[in-house]
Formats: sequence, C-alpha cells, structure tokens
Amino acid sequence: MKTIEWGFLIVNYLFLGGLSAGLFFVSALATFLYKIDEPSPYTRIARLGAYLAPWPVMIGCLLLIFDLGRWYHFYKLFLHLRLVSPMSIGSWLLVLFNLVALVNCYAWLTDRQRNILFGKLPSPLKFLSKFNYDIDHWRRWLALAGIPVSVGVGIYTGVLLGAVQSRPFWNTNLVAQLFLFSALSTGCAALILGLSGRKESARELKLLYGLDTCFMVLEFFIVLPYLIHGQLSVQAVQDSLQLILGGPFTILFWVFFLGLGLFTPLVIELRELVPAIVSNREFHYHRFVAASTALLILGGGFLLRYIFVFAGQMSSMQ
Amino acid sequence: MAARPKRYAMVVDSKKCINCKACVVACRAENSVPLAYSRPWMNEETRGVWPKLMATFQPEQCHQCAHPACVRVCPTGASHSRSDGIVVVNEADCVGCRYCIIACPYNARFFREDKGVVEKCDFCVKRLERGALPACVETCPSQVRVFGDLNDPGSKLAQLLSSREHRLKKPEAGTGPQIYYLI
Amino acid sequence: MDRRKFLKFSAGGAAGAAIGASLAYVKPFSHAPEKQAERVEVPTTCEMCVNKCSVIAVVENGVIHKLNPNPENPKSRGMLCARGNAGLQQVYDPARLKRPLLRVGERGEGKWKPVSWDEAFDFAAQKLSAVKEKYGPQGTLWSSTESFQEVFFKNLALSFGSPNIVRHATLCLSSVNLAYSLTFGTVPAFDLANSKYIIISGANRMESLITPDTMDLIDSTMERKARLIYLDPRFTVTASKADEWYPIRPGSDTAFILALLHVIISENRYDKEFVANYTVGFDKLAEHVKPFTPEWAAAETEISATDIVRIAREFSDAAPRAVYYAGRRSSWYRDDLQMRRAQAVLNAIVGSWDREGGLVPNGKIALGELPVFPWDDPTAPRVDEMDKNFPLAAKGDGAYLKLRENVIAGTPYPVKAWMIHKQDPLNALPDQARTLEMLQQMDFIGVTDIQMSDIAWYADVLFPESTYLERTDPVEVLNGIRPVVVYRQAVIKPLHDTKTTLEIVQGLAKRLGLSQYFDYTIEKWIDAEVKELPLETPLEHLKRHGLYVAPDFPKYGTTLTPDHRFITKSGKIELFSDRLLESGYDPLPVYHAPAQPSAGKYRLLVGRKAYFTHANSNNNPWLNSFDHGDGLWLHTQSARSLGVDNGDTVEISSNVGKAQLKVRVTEGIRPDCVFMLHGFGKRSKWQRLAGAGACDAQLLETAWDKVSGNSALHETFVSLRKV
Ligand SMILES: Nc1nc2c(c(=O)[nH]1)N[C@H]1C(S)=C(S)[C@@H](COP(=O)(O)OP(=O)(O)OC[C@H]3O[C@@H](n4cnc5c(=O)[nH]c(N)nc54)[C@H](O)[C@@H]3O)O[C@H]1N2
Ligand SMILES: Nc1nc2c(c(=O)[nH]1)N[C@H]1C(S)=C(S)[C@@H](COP(=O)(O)OP(=O)(O)OC[C@H]3O[C@@H](n4cnc5c(=O)[nH]c(N)nc54)[C@H](O)[C@@H]3O)O[C@H]1N2
Ligand code: SF4
Ligand code: SF4
Ligand code: SF4
Ligand code: SF4
Ligand code: SF4
Ligand SMILES: [Mo]
Repeated sequence: MKTIEWGFLIVNYLFLGGLSAGLFFVSALATFLYKIDEPSPYTRIARLGAYLAPWPVMIGCLLLIFDLGRWYHFYKLFLHLRLVSPMSIGSWLLVLFNLVALVNCYAWLTDRQRNILFGKLPSPLKFLSKFNYDIDHWRRWLALAGIPVSVGVGIYTGVLLGAVQSRPFWNTNLVAQLFLFSALSTGCAALILGLSGRKESARELKLLYGLDTCFMVLEFFIVLPYLIHGQLSVQAVQDSLQLILGGPFTILFWVFFLGLGLFTPLVIELRELVPAIVSNREFHYHRFVAASTALLILGGGFLLRYIFVFAGQMSSMQ
Repeated sequence: MAARPKRYAMVVDSKKCINCKACVVACRAENSVPLAYSRPWMNEETRGVWPKLMATFQPEQCHQCAHPACVRVCPTGASHSRSDGIVVVNEADCVGCRYCIIACPYNARFFREDKGVVEKCDFCVKRLERGALPACVETCPSQVRVFGDLNDPGSKLAQLLSSREHRLKKPEAGTGPQIYYLI
Repeated sequence: MDRRKFLKFSAGGAAGAAIGASLAYVKPFSHAPEKQAERVEVPTTCEMCVNKCSVIAVVENGVIHKLNPNPENPKSRGMLCARGNAGLQQVYDPARLKRPLLRVGERGEGKWKPVSWDEAFDFAAQKLSAVKEKYGPQGTLWSSTESFQEVFFKNLALSFGSPNIVRHATLCLSSVNLAYSLTFGTVPAFDLANSKYIIISGANRMESLITPDTMDLIDSTMERKARLIYLDPRFTVTASKADEWYPIRPGSDTAFILALLHVIISENRYDKEFVANYTVGFDKLAEHVKPFTPEWAAAETEISATDIVRIAREFSDAAPRAVYYAGRRSSWYRDDLQMRRAQAVLNAIVGSWDREGGLVPNGKIALGELPVFPWDDPTAPRVDEMDKNFPLAAKGDGAYLKLRENVIAGTPYPVKAWMIHKQDPLNALPDQARTLEMLQQMDFIGVTDIQMSDIAWYADVLFPESTYLERTDPVEVLNGIRPVVVYRQAVIKPLHDTKTTLEIVQGLAKRLGLSQYFDYTIEKWIDAEVKELPLETPLEHLKRHGLYVAPDFPKYGTTLTPDHRFITKSGKIELFSDRLLESGYDPLPVYHAPAQPSAGKYRLLVGRKAYFTHANSNNNPWLNSFDHGDGLWLHTQSARSLGVDNGDTVEISSNVGKAQLKVRVTEGIRPDCVFMLHGFGKRSKWQRLAGAGACDAQLLETAWDKVSGNSALHETFVSLRKV
C-alpha cells in the first residue's frame, strides 16, 4: 500500500543538518582567511559560524531519533555500519560532524568565555575544569578536518533521498548537489542574519553576499538541468515531475521556493554587490533588507526539503 | 538432483484469479496482521465499453527480490535476504526508520504503528518450516499462486516457467523480483 | 499520531484495509502463539455458507489461530474461501450473542435483559403452550434454513404438533429442484470437470461459490478444457472468465433455450437413440418448439440469431459432454420453473445424462438413524395450503411468501407464535415491510442465532447457539458426483454461555412435555448415523479426518439400463410432463415475455459477492473490510441521463419501499437494470454495519413462481432520484 512515511520531522532534520553543514563550511573557509590577532571581518564570520554550527544538527538528530518507530532502539543504528545504506553512513557521519563541530566551537571560545563556562560548572563537575585549555591553535586543523565532513553531511542529506531508485522524483544524482549548495547558502544566510544585527558589518556582509550568490547561482544551475533532464527522461520521471509542473507542489515550488526563496534574494544581493564590485563604490546594506533576505533564503532552503521529501514519496514507478 | 541451494519464488496465474480475497484473509489470520494493513493485495481493473468488457484481477505481494532495495537501504541489517532467497525483517534489529518502505518499488511494506517496526510478506516462513505451503497459496480456490524452488527443475513452478510465457513487474527497478506472472 | 497519511490506493486489498482500519480488530493476539505453543489440528466442517467445506482448525494454546482447508474433501478440495478463513472471527467477535436474552422494550427497540437458560426456556415454553391452548399446535410457525442440526428443530416442531415448518427452499432453489425432479425424477449434479461445453444462465459461480462446481468451472474454462457461454445482464466475475458473455434481456432465458431446442431438433442434432430409449414426449416437444425460431428469440433475448444457431450447433456437437447448468438460486421470475424445465429438457435431448461431462444423478451414502420415540404427525393442514396452491411442490418445505400472505390475513387459521432457527426472514424474504407486519401480529417470537441478526433484533427471546467451531453436530452427507460424509466436531469449548441446537431443543421439550422424543445425546445420535459406514471404527475415522469419502465414485451410467425406472410418472425422462398438465400447468416449457420497465424505471437485480454470505457475514470485520456492498450498479448512460456521478447517493424506490444508496457507475450492467448486493442496510444496531448500505429486501416486491412457490426476486422495477 502506498503511504507517506517521512513527514515534517524528517524535513526539519534534513534542513537543520544542511544548515549546520553550511555554517561550519563557511566558518571554516573564513578560518583560513583570517589573520591571527588582528580583528578582521573573517574572524567574526568564522567565530559566529563556529558558535552556531553544532546546534541545529543536534536538534535535527533528536528529531530523526523521535521519528523512529522505536526511538529507544536508535542505538542499534550504531551497532552496524552498512556502507551500502546511506542512512547507516549518514548516522556515523553525523556523529563525527557533531564532534568536530563541538570541539571547533570550543576552540573559538575566548579565554573569558571559557573561564565563565568552567566557572559555572556545578561542584560535582568541577574536576572538568582541568580541561580548561586554550586550543586556538587547533582552529585551522579543525577547519581542515571539518570541511570534508561538513560537505559530506551536506551531500548526505541529498543522497539519503537520491539513492532511492524507486522514487523517480529523487532518482538523479542532481539531488545530492542541489541539497549541498542549498545547505551552504542557508549557512551563509544564517550568518548574514546573525551579523545584520550590527550596524558596522559591511565588510562581513559583502563577503557573505559574495559567497552566497555563488552558492545560489550554482543551486539555480542545478535546478535547471534537474527539470530539463527530468523532462527528457523516462515516463516515470516525467510523470513524477508533474507534481511540481501542474501538481500539488507547483505553486510551492515555482512561487515560493524558486521565486521568493532563490531569485528574490539573489537579485537583492546582486543589487548590493555589483555596483560595489564593478565601480568599487563602498558597499551599502540596509539591516532590515539584509535580515529579510537571509530569512527568504532560509525559508527557501526549508521549502526545498519539504517539497522533495513529500513529492518524492508521492512519486512512484509507472 | 544435485542439492543446489533453494531459491524460493512464486508463479502467479492471474487469469485464474476470481478476486475472492481468500488469500488476503488467510494471510491476515496466519500472520496475525491487523486490519489496517495487508501483506498481499489485489490489483483490480475493468476495461472496455459495454458490452465489450474485460476484467483483470492480479494478486501481488512482496516480490522477494534478488537484489532487494529494502535490504540495501536498511541501516541496521534488520531487512536481509535468507539463503533461500526469502527477504525477511528481523524485528529485533528494526528501528522503524521506514527507509525500506520508501525504497521498495512495489510498496510491498508497511509500518506497524502498534509494534513500531516494518512488516511485509515473508512467504510464510513459519509455515515453510512445518513443510506447509504459504497460507495464500494453499487456500486459493483457483490455485492462482504456485510456490516453489526455482532451482528444482522438477518443481511445478520451474516447469510452468519453462513451459509458459511470463513477465515480471517493474523489472526496470532493478531489484530482481521473484514473482512471475504468467501471460 | 498519524504520520502515515493514505494517498491513493494502488491495491484493492489496501483500500479495503483502509476501510477496515476504522473497525475494531477482534482476534485476541495477546494469545498469539509463542515459540513452544501447544499446537493441535482439529478437522471439522465450515458453516460460513451452504457448501460445508472441510476445514482443519489450528488451535494454539486453546485459541483458534488459523483455519486451513482440508484437501481430503473431493468437493472443497484444497479450498477455503475468504469467509471460511474469516470463520474464527465469528467465534471471537465481541458483538456475538453470549447468553440468553429477553426482550424488555418494544419489538425492535433493542432493549434486552440477560437471563438464565432456565428463564429463557420457561418463558418460551409458557408462550408456546399458551398459543397451543388458544389456536392449537398449528398456531405455531417453525422456520429454519438447512443445517446439520436443523433436524432437531424440525422434530421439535413436528412432535409439538405443528404442520407449519417453512424452510429456505422457497427463497432459493425450489423451482430448479422441482423442474429437474419433474423431468428426471431427481436433481442431478453437473459434471463440469469433464464437460466440453457449458452454458450458464446467471449462476454466478465465480462469486457465488458452490463446491465443487466453482473449482471445476475455473479449471475447465481457464485450462481451456471447456467452452463457457454465460448469460447475465451484469458483467460478473463469471462473465469476465467466460468465453462468450451475453448480457441477455432479463427474463428471456426461456426464449433463448426454446430457440436452442428449435435449432437442435429442426437440424436433427439431438441424440435420437437416447431420446428413444429414455424419454417420453419428444414428438410433442418437437411440435411445440417449431415456432421458436432463432430470429424470434433474437428479438426477445437481444442475442443475435447467428449466435443462437452457432451455440445450438456447438452445444449439440459437444454433447454428451455439454451441459446447460441448472443454477442454484432460482428465485428469479414468476415462471422460473418453466425456464429450468426448458434447460432440463435441452440437456435431455442431447443425451447429456448420466455420462461423463453431462448431468449425473447424485451419488449417495446411506446413514443410519437413531430410533426415536415416535410421535403422531400433525393432522392440521398447512397454513400455506400447499395442496391447493402448489400441489407439486415439496410439502415439507412450505411456500414462504404464500405462507406470509396467509398468516397476515389469518387464513385459513391464525398463526401466533414463530420459532426461527438459523434464518433471517427480514433479509431473506422480499418486501420486508410485509415480513414486519407478519412478525408484529405474532404473540411470540423465539430465535436461535449466533449474532444479533435483524430477525434476532425483533425476537422476544434469544437462544444463543454455540458457533460451528464450538459444537459437535450430526454428520451430514454431501451428495454429488463424489459423495462424502462430513463431520463437524467442537474445536474449542464454548467461550460463552451458549448451547447447541439439540440442547436448546431439549430444554424446550422438557418444559413442553416432549422430553421422551429427545431422550438421547448427540454422541448417541452420531453413533447411530455412522455405524452403517463401511469402516471398523467410523467415528474414529471421522474424528481424525473430518470426513469419509465413499470409494468407487464417480459412477456413470447407473440409470442407463433398459430396465431402469426413473422416479417419474412414466418411469422415463419426461420431456412432456403429465404431472404438470394434471395440475393445470404447461406440460411443455412455455415462454411468457417478461414485463419491461417503463421509461425512467430499472429492473432491480440482486446477487452475491465471493466474500459475503447472504445477510449473515457482512458483520465480520475481516470480510467487510473489503467493501460494504459496493453500491448500486448503474450503467454509464443511465447515470448520465439521471445526472448522477459515481459516488452520488440516490433514493431507490419501488412499489413497496424506499432506500438510499451510493451509485457505482459502471459499464458492466445493462442500461435497463440496476444491481445491488444482498444483505446490507441492517436494522440491528448490534451489527457493525447497521444502516450502512441499503437492504434489497426493503425494495423487492412480493412475487413467486406459480408452480413451486419459490420467491421471484427479479420482478421488481425501481425508479431513482438523486438526493
Ligand atoms: N433479496 C434477496 N433475498 C434472498 C436472496 C438474495 O440473493 N437476495 N437469496 C436467497 C437464498 S438463495 C437463500 S439460500 C436465502 C438464505 O437466507 P437465510 O437462510 O436467512 O440465510 P442467511 O442470511 O445466511 O441467514 C442465516 C442466519 O443464521 C444465522 N446463523 C449463522 N450461523 C448460525 C449457527 O451456527 N446457528 C444458528 N442458530 N444461526 C446461525 C446468521 O447469523 C443469520 O442470521 O436467502 C434468500 N433471500
Ligand atoms: N460467496 C457466496 N457464495 C454463495 C452464497 C453466498 O451468499 N455467498 N450463497 C449460496 C447459495 S444459498 C446460493 S442459492 C447460491 C446462489 O448463487 P447463484 O445461483 O449464482 O445466484 P446469484 O449469486 O444470486 O446470481 C444470480 C445472477 O443472475 C443474474 N440475473 C438476474 N436476472 C437474470 C436473468 O433474467 N437472466 C440471466 N441469465 N441472469 C440473470 C444476476 O445478475 C446475478 O448475477 O450461491 C451459493 N454460494
Ligand atoms: S484466493 Fe486466489 S482466486 Fe481468490 S483472490 Fe486470491 S488469488 Fe484470486
Ligand atoms: S518487493 Fe520490496 S520489500 Fe519485497 S524484496 Fe523487493 S524491495 Fe524488498
Ligand atoms: S524500518 Fe527497520 S527494516 Fe526498514 S530500513 Fe529501517 S530498520 Fe531496516
Ligand atoms: S506468502 Fe504468506 S505472508 Fe506472503 S502473502 Fe501469502 S500468506 Fe501472506
Ligand atoms: S465456500 Fe467458503 S464459506 Fe462456504 S463452506 Fe466453503 S469455505 Fe465455508
Ligand atoms: Mo440459496
């Protein structure tokens, strides 16, 4: 019998996983660019990214566990490693990523923050304070190690679906790439949102806008071939595309995801960037505009997962 | 004949099916399947314009695939293929992620809300152990289903396959289904 | 939490499951077998319908886990149908009758008081005696449908002194039985396994299962051993399996058969030797069918003359391996007997009698009888005045509809008490309003049932019988080409405070002062029955196998000896029936063109589905999970002209009643007919489907076959209105 097995919990899980991956990736890039002990825009990006990265994915993992028919059996996922099962690989990958992201987050704490943190430890845990090390020097290594892992997580969220041949809507390697770049751009968006709070984030935002536009352009150039490829593909795939071309998800896909979630922010960002780059005038930004652009991107990223998770399950062979 | 490993499979002669649903009820009883679910199901279709009509009734269930998608995606190995080719779910290892349900091209699996695990046709392995035929096979007034060992040339199943035209459902899914529909 | 929304259903089973999901699931899985469950297999006999298939019940830790077919039975073979498989739901149904109930509210109000068996017996006995006092024993009516244990119920009626026993035969098969008896002196079986050419008039064998006919038919048609010609205004499953399906104009089958006779005789295609040796009245027949040309029949039946001629030729060429199948439920039209007679005569003249692939007299197995204390048979005449109204019909079975008319009219005498066993007259008789009328004028109604059926709902006192898996019944011979004795033994002890029919009868007899006639146990009764069987330890055999298969069957040609006397007036096969003539009926099959529905009206057809039995199994969650009767079949054109779409609800009205039902628009029915499944639209609030669907008995008008008194259920026209 045909049923929808994966619902909102999984949608959120995929979104949050991607978001963390994006946050980490961008922060890691910035890590390589910043100069030690000289406040640069990169520092703020790297630090904020490092601070934010671990948490969404953790929430995501909890959601995944609660989605299980028997959540209290989740440990069984870690009694096996099955290299043919995306979910098995993914579970391990997520554990790894969580570790790196946490350590990295710690590595970015300032001495003050660390001391406060350990100071606040309840007496039974006081002994932990002997771990109160300064590991700033690990940052680049962690970034180095973390980049492939975060990219892996970004890809995995797409592979989980893309690996399922029986659902024509998913059955193309483009899904993995699409999810990856969407993940990276949501990461950027989160940082833009975070930094748009400050008046003097012009240089950070300029960087993030630049990065983000790249991601979104790439994303767009995957959606395009996805649609074309699908149209030229076997009947089953064509039929499945009807879900977004004249089916229940058409409006959601074209207006909300593609229009508001991808195009609009892209245009806004370019409008700010191009003049600044071409006739290198000073880069302006309006806090409210920046924030709402970020929100649109995040919304778009969420919708993408929503549409794919549901439409995919509705699609089926012949 | 040489003791080649067993490879259980099923031949279905849909033309003989009278849509009496005995198989569905027999399975429900034998495997204690709650009403919300069913392991086997019927594909029913009536085509044509009065008075030139034709109806087809086609029973279907898990195809016990040789390269089962459900097994491939299962993160814990709860879904696995037995040496005799039957694909089964080991409830103890199943975490209820339902990835296998999504991966099955035939929608042959369902999630037991009551147990939190996934279930599907297992060719009545418990009955096979007793030397009995699967419940749906045994009870059928038309003997629509023929169950047997592909590797035993003497079996009625093998003989039907060598003597009659037959086809598979969704072979393009690449899972190597083992339910053969006679034409 | 419903994370699993159902989308569209690729599978009927799944769709069914979805409907079913809403219903309580009643098999106690808490008892589901563990690894080392104590497991026993008990052979017994199914009672989910008339076929009495052999079953092997698998009992695990005292709970029936599964019912499996018993392949030893040559009739049911390896088959157990959906209903047979669902039989254990009858036992574990929380909504079944668990103890005697006494009505406290109005009849049909559904107010009950649980009582002890003693109270129930005392109450009933007192009421029956009161009626006997006032109106004599004939003031009581005893109705029942065939079952192993029915004999005890009938004996109670007879020893009580009532002539008024009415059985299901005149709702079902009395016309076809009488037609074949009048012709061959017996009701034969049909050797479908060996036939080469089979013609069937609306006997929907692929859905209305009859063993072994259904399996034989599947085998011979699917394996291309035989050619199947099927006539039905409706595209049934049988139609879909037939080589040729003709949506014949309802009620015109006789014309079709007469034309076959015409062709076969005029072309000298009949079996001259057989006709000469074994039949009487051929010349009259030949003369009689002269006018019934294929062209004439084509106009009546809407089957082309060329097809009729071809079928006649193919049929006679295939003879004696050619049969015109009799059918079972022949409660069709006012002159149904003539249609069945026409078939019988056709089968006779091509010599398809007592030969492989033809009609074969039923093989018989003699059972012993327990000598019981003899009673004087009732002296009063029957209330349905069989001798006057249906002189040729089987007296013992009565004529249900005529009986109902007389009881309501109070002629020739009043009938004021009604005992009912294993029968639901509210659904089985047409014109439910009339049945209610008859019921309401009773001083007393006692019912034995296993569930709160519609008739149980209207009872004054309810005697809950143990279900067939909880009781041991008298043994039964299933006649047929391969006769077999089947045995029903208790698989588990009764779950509730229920009794067997014999115990119920004895309880009543004791209080009616009739104990001496029932002074035995079921074991004694069975011993007497089986001791005749050619086995050292017959009972042991039955207990172990659940049945006894008589050796050296099938036997062909037992009646084809010069000195054989057929049990007819002439001692021969009667193409021309003197007995019909003497009683004032047509001695040769005459065709009366059926009335046709006026504009805007449709003929109401009724029938079955493979997974429901009459009105009695649609309460079973495992069965009604598939559908609730799939609506009113209405042809696409008719739907368009009425402006209704699939799934719209229409009001169906006949001269006697109204009902509402969703339409199922289909190409599979004649535009001048509608069809609905029998047995839904229950009144009893204890039924899961109470009110669901519509009740055909509320719409069907009273009509019966002139000769047999069999009800005529296809004579009703209805009009439809979108609501
Ligand atoms: N409209 C319409 N009317 C019809 C027909 C039709 O097709 N359409 N068909 C006709 C035919 S062919 C027939 S044979 C008759 C059948 O008519 P019925 O003889 O009334 O047959 P059922 O509907 O099976 O009713 C049997 C009753 O017995 C009860 N019962 C079941 N098992 C047991 C048991 O073990 N013990 C006791 N005490 N009771 C039990 C059931 O609950 C049910 O109430 O109906 C006829 N009437
Ligand atoms: N699954 C199941 N099987 C059963 C039963 C059951 O309740 N359920 N009941 C058993 C019993 S007691 C009986 S009597 C038999 C009854 O089984 P059948 O004798 O097959 O009777 P029905 O099933 O009522 O089918 C009657 C058919 O006749 C068609 N018909 C109506 N009018 C005409 C006409 O004028 N001409 C022609 N040619 N056809 C017409 C109807 O469309 C319908 O399909 O089934 C037995 N088997
Ligand atoms: S039991 Fe046999 S005939 Fe009946 S529905 Fe199942 S497959 Fe078809
Ligand atoms: S049919 Fe589906 S469930 Fe069955 S083996 Fe194949 S993939 Fe697995
Ligand atoms: S639901 Fe169970 S069987 Fe299916 S993939 Fe998950 S763990 Fe494996
Ligand atoms: S083989 Fe057994 S489990 Fe599978 S459908 Fe048939 S009865 Fe059910
Ligand atoms: S046909 Fe089905 S219901 Fe009737 S006796 Fe046989 S198994 Fe039971
Ligand atoms: Mo019947």
